[in-house]
Amino acid sequence: MIRGALRNGFTHILRNRLVSLLSLSVIAFALLIFGVFDFVNHQIDSYINNFSKNVEAIFYLKDQANFKEIQQLADRLKGNALVKEITFISQDQALRDFNNQYPDLKYILAEFEQSPFPASLQVIFHPVQPENHEKITSLINDVLSLSIVESKQINLEWAEKLTAVNRFINAVGWFLSTILIVISIFIIFNTIKINIVYRKDEIILFRLIGASDAYIRIPFIIEGAIMGFLGSIMACFLLFLLFKVFPMTASIIFDAVKNMIDLTRIAPTLYLKMIILGTLIGLFSSLLSLRRFLKN
Amino acid sequence: MIEFYHVSKQYVKNVWVLNDITFSIKKGEFVFLTGVSGAGKTTLLKMIYKDEIPTKGQILIDSSNISLIGRGDVYKLRREIGIIFQDFKLLSNRTIYENVALPLLIRGERKSLIDKRVNSSLSLVGLSHRRNYYPMHVSGGEQQRAAIARAIVANPKILIADEPTGNLDTELSIEIFHIFERINANGITIILATHDRHLLNMFPKRIISLDQGKVVLDREGGGIQDD
Repeated sequence: MIRGALRNGFTHILRNRLVSLLSLSVIAFALLIFGVFDFVNHQIDSYINNFSKNVEAIFYLKDQANFKEIQQLADRLKGNALVKEITFISQDQALRDFNNQYPDLKYILAEFEQSPFPASLQVIFHPVQPENHEKITSLINDVLSLSIVESKQINLEWAEKLTAVNRFINAVGWFLSTILIVISIFIIFNTIKINIVYRKDEIILFRLIGASDAYIRIPFIIEGAIMGFLGSIMACFLLFLLFKVFPMTASIIFDAVKNMIDLTRIAPTLYLKMIILGTLIGLFSSLLSLRRFLKN
Repeated sequence: MIEFYHVSKQYVKNVWVLNDITFSIKKGEFVFLTGVSGAGKTTLLKMIYKDEIPTKGQILIDSSNISLIGRGDVYKLRREIGIIFQDFKLLSNRTIYENVALPLLIRGERKSLIDKRVNSSLSLVGLSHRRNYYPMHVSGGEQQRAAIARAIVANPKILIADEPTGNLDTELSIEIFHIFERINANGITIILATHDRHLLNMFPKRIISLDQGKVVLDREGGGIQDD
């Protein structure tokens, strides 16, 4: 029976090729938009998570800070549960590091008798959840209020800004996906309606010769599910093309975020999510159409 | 087998299409249902397979009150009944073979069984040579025989035929009636609606005659012109 229903489902789709193609394209587009936003969103999310797990701060020290004061500050930081590691970088060490990192620029600093770089304390914090970032911020502000500290550089602020941007991307993604999914539901709903009307005589006859309700309804339900499934496969293929085959093009589109996103790494779960969502959209739409147009 | 108890039907208030119909039909009987157009024959037949519901009264099939059958279970009742429709209701996009196979297909029968039963039904109505034709490519008489083959292919207990020879000439009608007799000989109860007096006289069977929604004659042995 299921084999017959599957065959009937495909027959219906093939019978109205143009309508089916239109429906499939809309579903594919809706799911593609969903997929793109979901992908970008998760990538930024995981970037932020990694970022947040490795919160680092560099406290630049004033030139007049003496060893004792620096030692006191270092001891104070070491005693804090949030701090994982502290490294003191002297002025000379900073110069050496610069020269090692940028040997071509060595000549610029050759004229200086003393290192132009300030000494610094590099602090690496223990991984924390984003909601605990406040504690780190408060500790940093405490340190900044000390007279020996000149300035700070911290990667946490960047992560917070990025989180806000990601929230916005997420909201836009959901908004667009919801609109397109509603349109897809409407289109499948109508495609099934057309098929019900087209097969009206057949349905009447089937009922009179003893076909069960399930026998009559299942092909339509399967038809909707097949359309959703095929639409999602199309969307997966397009997503694959977008990110895998043309990573350069995708990089241009997402230029702003290309450093954070590995465009060539699409999680298989995203494909799975799209296929399940597509099939559910198809199922839901066909059930809705049957409820409306195929009364007992 | 089929029992009507004071069955009445109205579509419009105070206009009774059927009015206090009571009769019973035994298993294996062959009954002609007759009457002029609009006498209520089709409505009465539709009530047997629950396509219409009585306004009043009860209908029993095999001692079961069919008004108690839920909407979702009507198909079980209909699987016991073969129906030949006035307009044949053959699907134009399916061959004669596929049309006849439909009742077995919806029951989920195996292909080998479907093949065996369809061939046997087509052979009984003399239509084996047209099995791969589409309905529009065969004559009215052949379409009628295809409809009969479809109605009997699933071995129903009851066969209902609504004006099965309405559009056929006398010679073809007689041929079709002989087919019904052969089917009846296999123990299938037949209720056949017709207003063809010539045929009623040729085939002496029980006649139930309706007029303005009432049973005006219920008699064994046929011969309507004497009344």
